Amino acid sequence: MVGTHRQQRNGVTRRQFGGLLAAGALVAGSGWPLGVAAAPPVLRVRIGSDIGNLDPARIFQIENQTVATQIYNGLVKYDEASNALVPDLATSWEISGDGTVYSFALRSGVVWHKNYGPFTSDDVKFSFERVLDPQTGSSYAGQLASIKSVETPAPDRVVITLKEPNSGFLHKVSAFNQGWILSRKALGEIGEKAYALNPVGTGPFVFQVWTPGREVRLSANKDYFDGAPKVEELLFRVIKDETAAAIALENGEVDIFFGLQQPEVIQRLKGGGQVTVLDRDANHTINLILNTSIKPLGDVRVRQAISHAINRKALIDGFFKGTKTEASGFLTSSFQEFTNDVAAYPYDPQKAKALLKEAGVGPFTLDLVAPGANPYDKIVVPIASDLAAVGIDAKIKVLERGAYLQARNKGTVPTCVTGVVGAPDPDSPILSMFAKSSFPPGLNTSHYEGVEDLIAAARQAQGDAARKEVYGKIQAKVMGDAPIVPLYADRLYIAHTKGVSGFVQNSLFTMSAYPVVLAG
Amino acid sequence: MDRLTRQLTQLAITVFGIVTVTFFLVRMIPGDPAQYMLGDYATEEALATLRAQLGLDRPVIVQYGLYALRALTGDFGASVVTGRPALEEILSSLPDSALLAFAGLAIAVVIGIPLGIVTAERQGSWSDLLIMVVALFGISFPVFWLGLASVLLFSQELKWFPALGASSGGGFLDQIHHLVLPAGVLGVSVAAYITRLTRSAMLEVLNQDYIRVARAMGVPQRRVVWRLALKNALVPILAIVGVTFAWSLGSAILIEVVFSRPGIGSMILKAVSARDYQLVQAGVLVLAVAVVLVNSLLDLAYGLVDPRLSAR
Repeated sequence: MVGTHRQQRNGVTRRQFGGLLAAGALVAGSGWPLGVAAAPPVLRVRIGSDIGNLDPARIFQIENQTVATQIYNGLVKYDEASNALVPDLATSWEISGDGTVYSFALRSGVVWHKNYGPFTSDDVKFSFERVLDPQTGSSYAGQLASIKSVETPAPDRVVITLKEPNSGFLHKVSAFNQGWILSRKALGEIGEKAYALNPVGTGPFVFQVWTPGREVRLSANKDYFDGAPKVEELLFRVIKDETAAAIALENGEVDIFFGLQQPEVIQRLKGGGQVTVLDRDANHTINLILNTSIKPLGDVRVRQAISHAINRKALIDGFFKGTKTEASGFLTSSFQEFTNDVAAYPYDPQKAKALLKEAGVGPFTLDLVAPGANPYDKIVVPIASDLAAVGIDAKIKVLERGAYLQARNKGTVPTCVTGVVGAPDPDSPILSMFAKSSFPPGLNTSHYEGVEDLIAAARQAQGDAARKEVYGKIQAKVMGDAPIVPLYADRLYIAHTKGVSGFVQNSLFTMSAYPVVLAG
Repeated sequence: MDRLTRQLTQLAITVFGIVTVTFFLVRMIPGDPAQYMLGDYATEEALATLRAQLGLDRPVIVQYGLYALRALTGDFGASVVTGRPALEEILSSLPDSALLAFAGLAIAVVIGIPLGIVTAERQGSWSDLLIMVVALFGISFPVFWLGLASVLLFSQELKWFPALGASSGGGFLDQIHHLVLPAGVLGVSVAAYITRLTRSAMLEVLNQDYIRVARAMGVPQRRVVWRLALKNALVPILAIVGVTFAWSLGSAILIEVVFSRPGIGSMILKAVSARDYQLVQAGVLVLAVAVVLVNSLLDLAYGLVDPRLSAR
């Protein structure tokens, strides 16, 4: 009996193979790329979802931003390690005494990818004016709104005049989103629509081909102004599932695992010891936003009570297995303006109850609105039970992403979960979450307007010390008013094989492949 | 000729109906493609500009009219997210989906039909019971579980096959090497259905009078089963194979996710979550055409298997 069964199985295996050969014949017939052995050193990087748009005026999402990081340069850039602003396409700059005129000396001899000619000051003018043009419909027009004019006295000189002093202006023209410079000629010839996936930059890698759902292929820019990259090709592979990506990394099918987030997978890769796992504080915190325009959240004591009621340490240690860090405010330590000299809300259910009583608020119902994406749809569960313990009946409402964005945009949700991912520019989270100009449809779902005067003061502040002082005041005021509860400071994880060296992790939630050397 | 016209008409009507329903359905889901594209920082003006550029500010019925007119000329619109022709983008993953479906089904047929025959032949025996229980497991286990388990076993532990189910610019053998696990998992999960179906189809035929007569006349068992019974049981089996093929073109999403393979299913899923209306429509269109084509081919195949059916 066992014998016949065996035979059956062996027979099947042979025929299975036959089936595969037949399937293979189909591939051969369909004219797929065949028979090219991978000879030159290719750096293979995992990304968690497909790219869609690499136009700096419209770019969004970490995968797009990560690919664009390899292609474009800005006038200045963040040093990967220290987050200091350092020269990129501009070699030096001067700021007028009143802080309104920025004059940049540009690098000479830089050429655009794919024979689009030399890079000049006109491209800088074109890039910024394009973002500002309402016809472009750029989400980042607001970032450059302080620009009055861009002049090009010489091909290697660009002068930007501001409407009023803006001490954080260099952040706006750094190599990220609207700060990435594109070529007037390339965009004109390729066309607005097609450009989204035919980007042309001056960066270390040249965009070659995007295969939907599968991969993005870039080649080394031999003419890169800082010297050619040390790998011939750069391949971004779309691998959604983190467990599969971890196995692929350990098997050497990919070299770098970008966007490593699941606590179990992080622990697994660390424990395995076969690969290197890097981690670093991100530039963003994940916050529970409280809508102050909805009763009883308008009362500061209620908001403070909620802050005291949530056991954030348990969330980090339990749910995240220690892969995130506690946040004292909405900025993380990777900002130069960061301070932890702000009101703290240690976990204290008794105090929360007392505050609610003091505010004269009886038991009430609160909708916890979260997007249907890991981990946000899960962390609201322990938060709801923490709130229940102090007499707040929290109802969890997880919405599919599109529906969530729409609901948050209307500004009528009592709570939501927001993190402002991006550059170490304190204006980015502050203006997005706490400025009146960002009232829904912006990200200020709190409808908070307590720091308008301080925001104006921050623009005027000249010099690092003055900036640090006024941004310190903003952090203290916001945390005192508690329109948000910082749930945790995000921590970024990237893993790579032992064959990768020279890699530097940044805090922007992107990565640069330029310094990477591949062994063997 | 008449038959061809009839099938073409059927194709046109089906596709028209499905695309129309999809058109209105995707627009009924809450969410906004402009919001998705521009992200968290989008200003109201930027959203309005993009909506106008995409024509989303017009009444839905006008949008539908324009879409239908353009579709008649073969223009199915551009993807909202990437700006590339939607049909082209969908068709770019058709080879991946077709290959997976084809290889998976080949495996399923090769495993499922013989097992179905063996179990029908030995109905009530231990081997029948064992195979049926295994097949029940095959049906009950979710395909992503089978996928992850096979990656852990064959890729991580044994290192026989890559964890990624799609090769990147590799040669023919490399492509096959990457395909084995995803196709195997799809094949095994579908094989369970085919086994059970073959078994019941065979049982029905084996109990018929002509089989009893053949046996009484001393026709060897092998010939009874493989020539006389199987041929008659083949029509329902073919039907399920065809339907499964069409189904797995679009529904192998979980396999595609576990094995990081591109495919029409995951493309449509991505398009739905991005509210990329044109891409969803193009995807559904391609699937609808595939289903109708497969059914037409099946009609032909039935005729070959059972000449009585083509006389109709």
